[in-house]
Amino acid sequence: MLKGFTRNFPLFKILTEEQVEAVHRGTLDVLQETGVSVYNERALKAFKKASCDVNFETKRVKFPPGLVEECLRKAPSSFRVKARNPKHDLIIGPGNILFFNFPGTGTVDLDIWEPRTATEKEHVDLIRVLDALPNVHFLNAYPYFGFSGGIPEIMKEIEGVALRMRNSTKVTVAIANNDIDMFTIKMARAAGTEIFANPNTSSPLTYYTDQVNACFLAAEYDLPSMIWDGATSGGTAPASLAGAVVLTNAELIPFIVLIQLLNPGARVSVANLVLAQNMTNGAPAFGEIGVSLHNVAFNQVWRKYGIPTVCSSCGPTSSKRIDFQLGYQKMMPAILSAISGSSVLQLYSSIYGEITAHPIQALLDDDIAGMIGSFLEGIEVSDESLAIDLINEVGPIPGHYLNKAHTRKWWKKEQFVPQVADRLTYPEWIRADKKSCIDYAKERMGEILAVHKVDPPLTDSQEEDIERILKEARECYKKKGLIPDKEWEIYKKTLRESGRPY
Amino acid sequence: MARGFRRKFKPLEIVTEEEVNAIHQGALEVLWKTGVLVEHERALNLFKENGCKVDFEKRRVRIPPALVEECLRKAPSSFCVKARDPKDDLIIGGDTVYFTNFPGMQTLDLNTWEPRTPTRKEYYDLVTILDALPNLHFFTCYPYFGFEDVPEVMKIPEGIVAKMRNSTMVNLCCYSNDCEIFTIKMVKVIEGMEAFGAGHSAPPLSFSSEMMESLFRYIEADFPIWAGGGPVMGGTTPVTIAGSIVVTNAEMIAYVVLTQLIKPGARVMVHDYALPINMRTGAPNFGAIEAFVHQAIFNQIWRRYGVPPVATSAGPVSSKKMDFQCGYEKAFSALIAALTGANVIQFSGGIYGELTAHPIQAILDDDIAGMVGRFIEGAEVNDETLAIDLIEKVGPIPGHYLNKAHTRKWWKKEYFMPKVADKLTLSEWLKTGKKDCLDYARERTQEILATHKPKLLTENQENAIENILKEEREYYRKKGLISDTEWATYKKDLESPNYPYA
Repeated sequence: MLKGFTRNFPLFKILTEEQVEAVHRGTLDVLQETGVSVYNERALKAFKKASCDVNFETKRVKFPPGLVEECLRKAPSSFRVKARNPKHDLIIGPGNILFFNFPGTGTVDLDIWEPRTATEKEHVDLIRVLDALPNVHFLNAYPYFGFSGGIPEIMKEIEGVALRMRNSTKVTVAIANNDIDMFTIKMARAAGTEIFANPNTSSPLTYYTDQVNACFLAAEYDLPSMIWDGATSGGTAPASLAGAVVLTNAELIPFIVLIQLLNPGARVSVANLVLAQNMTNGAPAFGEIGVSLHNVAFNQVWRKYGIPTVCSSCGPTSSKRIDFQLGYQKMMPAILSAISGSSVLQLYSSIYGEITAHPIQALLDDDIAGMIGSFLEGIEVSDESLAIDLINEVGPIPGHYLNKAHTRKWWKKEQFVPQVADRLTYPEWIRADKKSCIDYAKERMGEILAVHKVDPPLTDSQEEDIERILKEARECYKKKGLIPDKEWEIYKKTLRESGRPY
Repeated sequence: MARGFRRKFKPLEIVTEEEVNAIHQGALEVLWKTGVLVEHERALNLFKENGCKVDFEKRRVRIPPALVEECLRKAPSSFCVKARDPKDDLIIGGDTVYFTNFPGMQTLDLNTWEPRTPTRKEYYDLVTILDALPNLHFFTCYPYFGFEDVPEVMKIPEGIVAKMRNSTMVNLCCYSNDCEIFTIKMVKVIEGMEAFGAGHSAPPLSFSSEMMESLFRYIEADFPIWAGGGPVMGGTTPVTIAGSIVVTNAEMIAYVVLTQLIKPGARVMVHDYALPINMRTGAPNFGAIEAFVHQAIFNQIWRRYGVPPVATSAGPVSSKKMDFQCGYEKAFSALIAALTGANVIQFSGGIYGELTAHPIQAILDDDIAGMVGRFIEGAEVNDETLAIDLIEKVGPIPGHYLNKAHTRKWWKKEYFMPKVADKLTLSEWLKTGKKDCLDYARERTQEILATHKPKLLTENQENAIENILKEEREYYRKKGLISDTEWATYKKDLESPNYPYA
């Protein structure tokens, strides 16, 4: 099992109990009075059966508060998720903090800082780096959206899941777009791992059919779910932070209700990717600090509900480069979510928005995660660490601590040593060619890729199953007309040339 | 008055009450059993008169717990400091957080990233820029340690005068070679204006005669005191964070006791600047997590003592460049300091160690300070911000919030737009030459220097201060602290038509 980091001090809070209640009451009111639009017949029926007020024509569902509270109670406050290698099993719940990656559509060229589609090798390299890093506890969907070589749109993430099964033994996430999770969930089963179902809300207060189907799949296969909300405050959610929390919560709850109706006690967690709207250009303002206030308040309310939260807003930033801005935009939301009770932080590898990610960035983020973990775990206050006798013995100047056994014993325990930070003095730094953290990260990436092996690799029969499921998916989408003939030809050529599996 | 930022929630506490007590008791025990080394006759007598056990031969002072508690009570938990312009007055204490600059010995060449001595003009420009920054509230010592052509002993005085000329903010005055005698006179030139006097311990548990003498001078001139130490964990204090805080607290308590013995009710605040030792290089690790944990606990304890804590470890980083590492090290430290209750965060402009500072860095840091400030001011929760009626009116898709008066009103209040961050979309960014935050900060430097006009000293004030400077130069000449060669270069600078570059 992956340990994660333990927070050894009380949660950081910004709302009073009364304010938490006000947010909760507001959420119940929205669910009861306005309700939500659900574009999925099966779900409408399930809600109806559970005594919701359902209008089949307008697709509107209104929830009685009693049902909401009952379903929130049914969801477990902590749970385990099984990985292919038991050493990568997860425990998601209070006090235990895990990290995973935030994807980018493509990679970024580190010389000109422009995004481009990753090659298959680059895609695999990123997966391998994430698999190797001990503080990446599981892998999100992607990490890139497909790879170059003419992969049809619909097959990109299905191919991606196959790469993750082959190159990592960590748990991953199955996105639901176009019902591709019908295939990817099967792949995960074939590889002997659990996978998160990943229903996404559509703000404001709307649910499309493929996302709802993910809940049915989660129930059918008894999978854990990570429910995602990505409202934009000022666009699809109120601009006021309190209002945005009400809306986010009102959007997440119907999925929890549905999942608990289908499979009482099912494992669920909620992911918060609220962003602020940049009113000057209409795009989301990634890395905005108000979003962290939203996230801290969100954590506080969901802690009361007893449902684990995931912070996704610590992944994307508005910087296009690996620079000063990226550093502070990643660190601030991450530490704030970690101390306020997020169970999982989606930190690693992302750079600009959801557009770019890079393994170098993952290695840099690993130091941020390590620092946060070290902060969360706090310090030991004991007779030995207080060291009163030693202090009395050393006394004032010229006394010092360098030659003491106590120093030798404790420095390693007390100090966190970052892996790729520049910690040299000026003369050393000049002698060592003025290397920066990016240079160290590049070296470390080379080291990891040279030695890291997936443990254990897929067995031959697992590999066959995955190939078979891939084939099924390709044929299914070909038949459905989602892969046009022209794309199909290029795709087939790529498959032949790649000499897969690896 | 400089408003600073107000923390709207309970500070984050990372150790328990019992642990705070253990550290406090430990410090009391050290003060009574081992005591502190005080190289100053008058101070020794004063301690003696007030019931301390004093060994005049060994210059050792042992302070009884009751006196400690009494003096901690006497020190004010909040106090005003008057600036040259009332808009820059400070009220230190309570839940207010101010940002101040962190100095560097030298400036930084942004092409080679190597340090070099700044020119007089660069020094004055940095002061002007710091004066213009919205999230910087007062000055520390320097911001650079002097500039080209200035004799060693005149570096501090020339710096003080530069800050008086180009800024109306409160200043911090150092001590060295009696310079405080002149500094006090200069500050008194401006009626009603105040400045902090600086004082430091010499860890472990020692106080130099020069520092002690300046403390008497500053307090007798009714200056508020900014006290601090700068221990290295594993070098001059135990390597354990708990043990290191015991030593730091013992030193700072001894210091506060003396301030209150000299003048009951004297204004004093204490900083924490403990750095872990890098066991490989022997140098301190700047921007290290251990320093921030130390700071967090220090803040928690000193808030309890009712003496305003200052976070000094937030300023320097171990990166040599303004890069990703610099970004996360600065963001982490500032945020933790603000959350855990520091009243002052010494932050802007500092880069590597105490060796380099730069106006570009100060401008970049001002965005972090703004973000931290925005965060701690929290979010309003009331009917208007909860926006339940609005959420119900907008409903599910195709409803949205972009065209709502509520959005227009609240987005500016709730979100913080950094001044020099890259906030563009990818296509805008490509079109505008791929500018990054450093480019924007460079532009802003030029803008500030072109448009920001600090309020000048009156002619009388200017003359009076120039006369004191003259007096000081002569004093050091006579004492032989300015050599003939130094004097020759210095004189050329003083006779330059551009002098004093204000």
